[in-house]
Amino acid sequence: MTGRVLHAHLHLFDRQVVRADGRLLCKVDDLETEPGEAPYVTAILAGPLALGPRVGGVAGRLMTGTTRLFRPEEDPAPRRIPMALVGEIGSALTVGGDVPEASLERWVREHLIDPLPGSGGADPGLREPRPVRRPEVPARDRLSSLVGRRVVDRDGAPVGQVADVQLTQDGPLLGETTQALRLSGLVVVPRHTGQLFGYERGPGGNSPALVRAVIRRLHRGSRFVSWEQVADPGDPIRLTEPRAALLPLAELFTRGDASASG
Amino acid sequence: MRRLLLIVPLLLAGCASPAWNDADYGKKAGATAEAAASSVALVRLAVEHEARLTRPYLQTLLTETATALGSVDSQFGAVQPPSEQAVEVRAEITELTSEAAEQVQVLLDEVRLREIAEPEKAAADLAALADRLRAFAERHPS
Amino acid sequence: MKRFFAVTLGILTAIGGFVDIGDLVANALVGSRFGMSLAWVVVVGVVGICLFAEMAGRVAAVSGRPVFDLVRERLGPRAGLLNLAASFGINLLTLAAEIGGAALALELATGIDYLLWVPAVGLVAWLVMWRVRFETMERVFGLAGLALIVFLVAFFALGPDYGELGHQLTHNPSDDGAATYWFYAVALLGAAMTPYEVFFFSSGGVEERWTRRDLGVMRANVFVGFPLGGLLSIAIAACAATVFLPRMIEVDTLGQMVLPAGLAFGQIGLALVIFGVFAATFGATLETALSSGYSISQYFGWQWGKYVRPREAARFHATLLVSTIVAVALILTTIDPIKVTEYSLVFSAAALPLTYLPVLMIANDPDYMGDRVNGRLSNTLGTLYMILLMVVAVAAVPLMLATKAGQ
Repeated sequence: MTGRVLHAHLHLFDRQVVRADGRLLCKVDDLETEPGEAPYVTAILAGPLALGPRVGGVAGRLMTGTTRLFRPEEDPAPRRIPMALVGEIGSALTVGGDVPEASLERWVREHLIDPLPGSGGADPGLREPRPVRRPEVPARDRLSSLVGRRVVDRDGAPVGQVADVQLTQDGPLLGETTQALRLSGLVVVPRHTGQLFGYERGPGGNSPALVRAVIRRLHRGSRFVSWEQVADPGDPIRLTEPRAALLPLAELFTRGDASASG
Repeated sequence: MRRLLLIVPLLLAGCASPAWNDADYGKKAGATAEAAASSVALVRLAVEHEARLTRPYLQTLLTETATALGSVDSQFGAVQPPSEQAVEVRAEITELTSEAAEQVQVLLDEVRLREIAEPEKAAADLAALADRLRAFAERHPS
Repeated sequence: MKRFFAVTLGILTAIGGFVDIGDLVANALVGSRFGMSLAWVVVVGVVGICLFAEMAGRVAAVSGRPVFDLVRERLGPRAGLLNLAASFGINLLTLAAEIGGAALALELATGIDYLLWVPAVGLVAWLVMWRVRFETMERVFGLAGLALIVFLVAFFALGPDYGELGHQLTHNPSDDGAATYWFYAVALLGAAMTPYEVFFFSSGGVEERWTRRDLGVMRANVFVGFPLGGLLSIAIAACAATVFLPRMIEVDTLGQMVLPAGLAFGQIGLALVIFGVFAATFGATLETALSSGYSISQYFGWQWGKYVRPREAARFHATLLVSTIVAVALILTTIDPIKVTEYSLVFSAAALPLTYLPVLMIANDPDYMGDRVNGRLSNTLGTLYMILLMVVAVAAVPLMLATKAGQ
């Protein structure tokens, strides 16, 4: 059985996370991965500590800096939502189970909104108990750290940089029924050409021809690297094969990888 | 980008910048007269129809115009005339604009107290003043 | 009657876009300087906003995702943050201006200085956002804004010279330079297509819990609301072209621009138009304040919306409260509310492509849309408008500098 194929940037990053009852929870600010022979995604990371490094620059540092300032821990980590809780992955990710809300939301509610008349708030004396912070999990890798990394081939010649990570849902079992998303490949673009927007990956229905043509042109020469072709996922990522042996993205598509959107 | 941000306020301040020569000064005087003529013509239009308009509205409109005319006056007075000839131009334009400001102020006071005493006469006066301002503006095209 | 109420979201959205405080005056100013020669821009703007609001509404109805979700999802966190900073800043400035505008309308009605009304307007606006149901809010203020139709009636009552106005459609009567003409063209297009319209419209669709079955209602909102807004905007320009242009009067304040209605219908006309101006600017106050909350919440993934109790969307309501306070403080510094919107309009024109490109992309994504992806017409027009918006974005700031903002 082949699992569902997703692309981290296109299908997961920056999507809304929703509770089972429809209330909004957070964004997929980053994904946590378990390193090893066959790395897989273990959790959604959310909050400024996950988003800041992805934004980068002054704004990103400001985001993480302010959050660190207000967190009591020595080395605070972003909120984790284990992948085992994730149900449906569509235009939003649905999570079940008891997920604690963000601490900023709690703080604002208790100190600003509830005291205002007509907030529909609870009796100020009857505050909900503070959620117990789960013990910190040992720091694992963040998937976003792969994106943008340089890729060199077997002989050390540059291939380009990682634009997206392909994930296949055939990893180890998480919880009872869901299989983990395993890192199964990399989309490598030759230059720093910005977002991929999914247009280079083949016929995703009809689309504005001009926009598609422009983006395809920007990303011509993009290649696909399967995880088996990766020799060392360090920085730069070293491959086991010469550049010429890599599959161009377009060709990958004609070979029938259309299940990507399924 | 940072440089651009510096330029914006400078350019926006352009309308009150110093005039370099007579032609430039004349242009500024012409533009000032044009703006004043527009305000005066508007007040005239309102005064002609004052019976059909409400008092708070007239009062607000006249206050607005009086303030605008006053600021035109003081703004232009702040520009240093570059020559003898320019001094004469300034005397002429400031006379016209202060007259406009004064007429509007009188009307405003009347509206505040009760109502405009002689709307027809006031409208005729304003019309004449607007014509003089326009004539001035034509002699000093901006 | 129920059907009629169903389109009030579109009407309220369009009023905030086409006849808010800045546009009320800008339309009259354009009419008094350029006659009807810029009316075509409004038509181009109406087509553009209908096109993109329909896409955004369709995405919201089918997938439940409002526009700023799409912006971040397609553009990524960095470009998304840039857009957020720009949109939020523009929203805040516009919010300040709208509060000022509603206060100015109250000054016209009472003769009491507008600065005294500003805190009251801010407080009432916040109370409405805090307590009033979304549907009630959009009905009351959408319908009240329709009082501005008095401009349309006044135009016919003023006995305009149709031949002359028709001639102006293709001939610019002004002797100002081409740069000034194009500056106002950009400003009008920016006004028609301001990003907060699609933020508000798509979020409003989610607030009303639109689903696939409501696509018809959504389209009715788009195709009734925005053309109506455009029509009002043209009517204001036409009144100005009839009353002010022949007398060589240039209009630049709210008090001046309502005069045609007073000339046509006397005190009743004046009362109606001032009521309409108040309703429109107050509606725009709500629209811009809520949009600032929507955009920031949707970027960070916070719970937002009036469909949950305030305490369940604490960060969203805190944003609304703080934005309103900041806007009130800003307008109390006595900066001219109308000038504020004129500048923010031009800057928002420069930020347009960053909002509309993700909408166009997602409206084509079967992941989100299933079988409701764009048709060929939407895509062709969408691409043409993307090119137009990029040209406008590039031209906006240079034109503003070259013409000293249209002076």
